[in-house]
Amino acid sequence: MDYDIKRSVSLYSYQDEYYNGQLDLEGCLRETAKTGATGVELLTEQMIRRFPIVTEAFKEQWFQWLKKYGLEATCYDAFLENHIYDNRTLTLKEQVDMMCRDINLASELGFKTLRTLVSTPMNVIEGSLDDAAKKNVKLGIEVHSPFSLNSGWADGYMEMILRTGTKHFGFIPDFGIFCKRIPDVLTAKARRQGASSECIKIVDHAFEERVHKGFVKIKYDTDLGKANREYMEANGLPKLVEAIEKANGNQADMAYAMSSFAYTWCDPQDIIDNISYIYHTHAKCYNTDENYVETSVAINEVVEAYKKAGYHGYLSTEYEGGEALRDTMEVDSIEQVRRHQEALKRAIEEQEA
Amino acid sequence: MAGRQIFNPEGFKNVKEDGKITGFSFQFKLQYYRGITLSIIRDIPIWIDGESIAREDIRFTVADEQFTLEEMRTVISPDYRWEFGEWATVSVLREGGLSAGEHHIKAIQVVAPSYMPRILENVCECNFVIE
Repeated sequence: MDYDIKRSVSLYSYQDEYYNGQLDLEGCLRETAKTGATGVELLTEQMIRRFPIVTEAFKEQWFQWLKKYGLEATCYDAFLENHIYDNRTLTLKEQVDMMCRDINLASELGFKTLRTLVSTPMNVIEGSLDDAAKKNVKLGIEVHSPFSLNSGWADGYMEMILRTGTKHFGFIPDFGIFCKRIPDVLTAKARRQGASSECIKIVDHAFEERVHKGFVKIKYDTDLGKANREYMEANGLPKLVEAIEKANGNQADMAYAMSSFAYTWCDPQDIIDNISYIYHTHAKCYNTDENYVETSVAINEVVEAYKKAGYHGYLSTEYEGGEALRDTMEVDSIEQVRRHQEALKRAIEEQEA
Repeated sequence: MAGRQIFNPEGFKNVKEDGKITGFSFQFKLQYYRGITLSIIRDIPIWIDGESIAREDIRFTVADEQFTLEEMRTVISPDYRWEFGEWATVSVLREGGLSAGEHHIKAIQVVAPSYMPRILENVCECNFVIE
């Protein structure tokens, strides 16, 4: 099938260098271009001061930079701060207004897609569809582990897509749903925090079993906490807790066991089945080694599915391994993103007939 | 190798007003990945050398504007965001400030991003010296 898979970098990836002042926004764009990526994804609330005020001067600068570094704006990551006050949830209208504000900003900054979080209420999405169509910005709900495609959870959104006939809402899969192993940097951190080899083995083995047997998928529930608890139970949490307790596991052992449920292995066929509704992709990564192998995500298998499906769009590197490192060392996101982009490039190009 | 710097090592000092030491202050960065409105900061409990500081004695400053933790509940202005990667100054009202020498601080950034099922509690700790 005809496909056109392009590479992008989410500037989320460079958060450690941005945090310590090593890179500013332009620096992040420069590094993105150096990897060979042609797209850039932005968290406006991360790197634009005084959000949501975006000045004309900034817009002008932004487009100059895109031109200078040969980049296309791919995805705008929105945060619907619907609990901006601690004593109430914003009204439906306030939430829709907030979403439309972001759609407008995305459009003004040249973004074609907008990532919305799994916590976004369905009626807020529906209420924003007209604006999305007017501004020609495609909204995508992030399919972030433990959520998955072809699940009760996804069916809830699919029902809305089919009922409204919208062409401006779909899914943004995150590669955290394609983990064959728990990221090794996470395991190393657990060890530093006092997890025992015995318990790590138990947790890793249980994860392997889930991968082998297939994960039980998460259901649709407006109470996300409840959906998650049920999901963890259905995937063997009680048995795992029991095994850790039996091995006299400590707090670090238990924390490692719990965190293992943040990663999922889904059949890449899910991408093929849903391709008509996939507008953008977060190529999540945790640790790419010097041989360009991501130690957790099965990049080649997944990219193969995107090709088979005939995907026209971006795979956007979202490096998250720094989380497991920054307590003990300086994070080198620049190198991690470079390696991951190379890994994506090879997966996209090398297997072509 | 050292982990990320949370506190400004140069930021710990006693606060002087009209020749009198009225408290002490420190600077730290938000342990999250984007800037936030002050309204989603639910609390910043602080312990100095193990001793807890009263909530009403805490002041929080960004963009040269100072707020109490109670006032912050309604602050959503773009002018007073705690921007990602920027120091915020926290001061504590305390007559006489801190004694010269070594101290220990523990402060928790209690932040509630709307999309998270649980409130974040980022524990920030370090030793410091008051000159």
